[in-house]
Amino acid sequence: MTASTPNPTIGALADLDRVILGKPQAVRLALACLIARGHLLIEDVPGVGKTTLAHALAHVLGLAWQRVQFTSDLLPADIIGVSVFDASRGEFSFRKGPIFTQLLLADEVNRASPKTQSALLEAMEERQVSVDVTTYRLPDPFFVVATQNPFEQLGTFRLPESQLDRFLMRISLGYPDAQHERALLAEGDRRDLLPVMKPALSPEGVRDLQAAAQRVHVAPALLEYVQALVASTRQRTDVLLGLSPRAGQGLVRAARAWALLAGRDLVLPEDVQAVFGPVASHRLERTGGAGGADHAAFVSGILRGVPVPV
Amino acid sequence: MIAAARPHVAATLVFAASVLLVLFEAPLWCTAVALGCAAWRIAVSVGWLNPPRAGSWRRLVFVTLTVACVLAVLANFRTLNGLSAGTALLVLMGALKLLESRSRRDDGIVIGVALFMLLAAVLGDQSLLRVPLYLLTVWGACAAIAIIAHPGDALPTRAALRLSARALAMAAPLAAACFLLFPRVSGQFWALQRGQQATTGLSDVMAPGAIGELASEYDPAFRVRFEGSPPPRETLYFRGVVLNSFDGFTWRRARSHTWNPPPLEMLGAPVRYRVTLEPSYRPWLFALDTVARSPRRNVFLAHDRQLTAMDDIDTVTSYDAESYLRTRSTGKLSVAGHRYETRIEGEGNPRTRALALSLRAQSGSDAEYAQRVLQWFQEQRLEYTLDPGPTSVDSVDSTLFDSKRGFCAHFASAYATLMRMADVPAHVVTGYLGGEWNPAGGYLIVRQSDAHAWTEVWLDGHGWTRIDPTSVVEPERLQRGLYDLMPQSMGATAQVLRSAWISRIAHVWDSANQWWQERVVEFNARAQLSFLRNLGIDSPGWQHLGWGFAIALLTWIGWVSLTLRRSVARQRPDRIARAWLAATRKLARVAPARAADEGPIAFARRIGAARPDLAPAVSDVAERYVRLRFGPSSSAPEVLELERAVRRLAA
Repeated sequence: MTASTPNPTIGALADLDRVILGKPQAVRLALACLIARGHLLIEDVPGVGKTTLAHALAHVLGLAWQRVQFTSDLLPADIIGVSVFDASRGEFSFRKGPIFTQLLLADEVNRASPKTQSALLEAMEERQVSVDVTTYRLPDPFFVVATQNPFEQLGTFRLPESQLDRFLMRISLGYPDAQHERALLAEGDRRDLLPVMKPALSPEGVRDLQAAAQRVHVAPALLEYVQALVASTRQRTDVLLGLSPRAGQGLVRAARAWALLAGRDLVLPEDVQAVFGPVASHRLERTGGAGGADHAAFVSGILRGVPVPV
Repeated sequence: MIAAARPHVAATLVFAASVLLVLFEAPLWCTAVALGCAAWRIAVSVGWLNPPRAGSWRRLVFVTLTVACVLAVLANFRTLNGLSAGTALLVLMGALKLLESRSRRDDGIVIGVALFMLLAAVLGDQSLLRVPLYLLTVWGACAAIAIIAHPGDALPTRAALRLSARALAMAAPLAAACFLLFPRVSGQFWALQRGQQATTGLSDVMAPGAIGELASEYDPAFRVRFEGSPPPRETLYFRGVVLNSFDGFTWRRARSHTWNPPPLEMLGAPVRYRVTLEPSYRPWLFALDTVARSPRRNVFLAHDRQLTAMDDIDTVTSYDAESYLRTRSTGKLSVAGHRYETRIEGEGNPRTRALALSLRAQSGSDAEYAQRVLQWFQEQRLEYTLDPGPTSVDSVDSTLFDSKRGFCAHFASAYATLMRMADVPAHVVTGYLGGEWNPAGGYLIVRQSDAHAWTEVWLDGHGWTRIDPTSVVEPERLQRGLYDLMPQSMGATAQVLRSAWISRIAHVWDSANQWWQERVVEFNARAQLSFLRNLGIDSPGWQHLGWGFAIALLTWIGWVSLTLRRSVARQRPDRIARAWLAATRKLARVAPARAADEGPIAFARRIGAARPDLAPAVSDVAERYVRLRFGPSSSAPEVLELERAVRRLAA
């Protein structure tokens, strides 16, 4: 069941678990999201370690990272960069913005104006930036880890469904349990650990992992299962809009990465089930605006309604 | 459009289409109300209008509206019974349902109402022209049902139409079996009460100029299909109403005059034919010359051989008739008969009376007198015209001596009057003469414009003898239709319809209609039995029909279930799946059974936790299964290994 090559993700996961205490599932999902070449949306209240997770991901994966605090007066140029006139050479030159990095932490992404949001989300989709007539490719790998606070509504711009679709997964961390919270209280800021830790991976290593995830086998029976899951969301009366084919593709990609993290070279229905919630929940708008706490139960209800193939 | 609007719109459109189908059954205001409600419903569904707010007042409004509608229908029809009133009620109730429908179930009810209205439309009009409309509506209704039944509005319209077309095609054999074999009740159990309709065709009153009004009507009165070759055209006198009472101006049918006619001798071979009568909303049936017997139940054959039905003919009606073109009656007319058939009320038409007396005095016998009068008609050079102008109170005098112009009704009236004035029994017969041969269908179309009037005169030794005074005034009338004689009398429509190639198309269409009428609409219990006879059953009966229908039904059910099974049924589990299912069944004895959504590894882990002793074996089976089912390839030995591992589990 284990892949023949030594699994470099085990070290990375162990390091991440050391920094983010008591959240192995969220940490695995975050890593799987990046390996599946997807962008990650972390939705949670402040202070549970969203930024720490992003920071730790960048460090452990050996990636260059930038952080942008989104505010309502943030302009697209503040992220992408700006053409400035170079008097000495008598021409415009492009000064790259913070987006030209391997991992961008977009903190409180819903605070920025829709214009700025869409500039970022466009870059996420295209993995390139066009300024004036020149197109600049973004580094490879390129990840966006965005955070938003779901409870603060004043002065925020909710991401529309089409923009949410750009994020492969949406996860939340939640409060730590008692034991881990005590450990946090005792040991202080976990980010202090980062400088002393050696990166478990490098950008090349991340690219290799992404390629390896592509090679994880997906059997026809499993595709049937994914299709049945996606189709079942379209037939529900409590869902305004079912999952799109793009969401189905994302589900397969995420399940591949999840299987790779588990050290398998084939995808199981369990892998699909593990990533289904984070991949699907932010893409399913429910009728009557229902959401929130019972969303997890709602998602598992969908899973329960579709038999796994035998 | 709002995502969930499509099922509502589909149901509403089907309803609106059905309302249009019963356009002529329901009163116009019902149709207007229903279409208004449908438009409102669509506007609300697609979001142009706001839906009504819920509230207790709404219930009150609906109850009020319902009561108002029922009362309105009652006021309109004076009853809630019968096809028209029932249809009106159905249209209104469906419209009200649209106002309050919200859920999928409501849409289903609306379509149900629409299908009931379709049934009403079929009861009201079974013509071939309507068939495509009915089929389209059924198709649309089925597609709408498919759209409604599909959860989450996921079925595209095109796919729904395809699906319903396929379903209808599959249902077609069953419909054919029901049509051919389902035992039928004789008689029309659906013969519901109808509203009053406009009447057309001949009446039982003939004032001068009466039949001329029909000349411009191109509508068919009836169609005749002869057994064998048709008789010559000049003998095609279809008798209708016999007018035996004259007041000097108008000929009428007096119902009270009956007497025993002298015995009749039928000569020559009978002509057998089938008449398909268009609705005339009058009770008369038409037959050639002397009909042998009443052609169907509830049709009365009078002493003067007039056929009268119990009820007005308000649907297309067919009957088989047998007529003799030549008869003889050697007996004497009874005294009462002679009195009635020579009576003229009043002392009008003095010039005619004088003529009658002088001509009779010159003749040796009644037969000679009849011949002499005909000759007189010829000598007078009377003019045959559809527009003879008004006549005076002494209508016969006016025709014969003043205007010298007239139409068949004038001449028949004048001739019969001349006979009666000379004490020769005579009466006027109205009916149809000739007709148009449809070469495409091999039958005769008799139109309203073929209406004609002639006389019958009692001649001792011969009995009633047909004498057509028009034939001496305008001999061509016997050979040719009115339109050939007087093209200017044709209406614009008739002129177009009679142009060469259109008339050929019209003939084909008419014969298709006739086929539809004879073979489909009138396919009754007798036709069913003769169908069985054609299948080779010697003495068919109800039992044969019942058995035939049962066999057809079972065959159809078998065929449909096989077809559906092939397209719907899941594939049979293969060896890998069977092995895994066997393992899960076995393990269900030690722990709760595998849920449908439980993956193999999760299941193995659960069993392992419950029974640590089984853990290695279960995990081995699960991993083998997973590798075969979800891995890149599977080989026969590996499958065998899995099956063996599953068997070991049992041990």
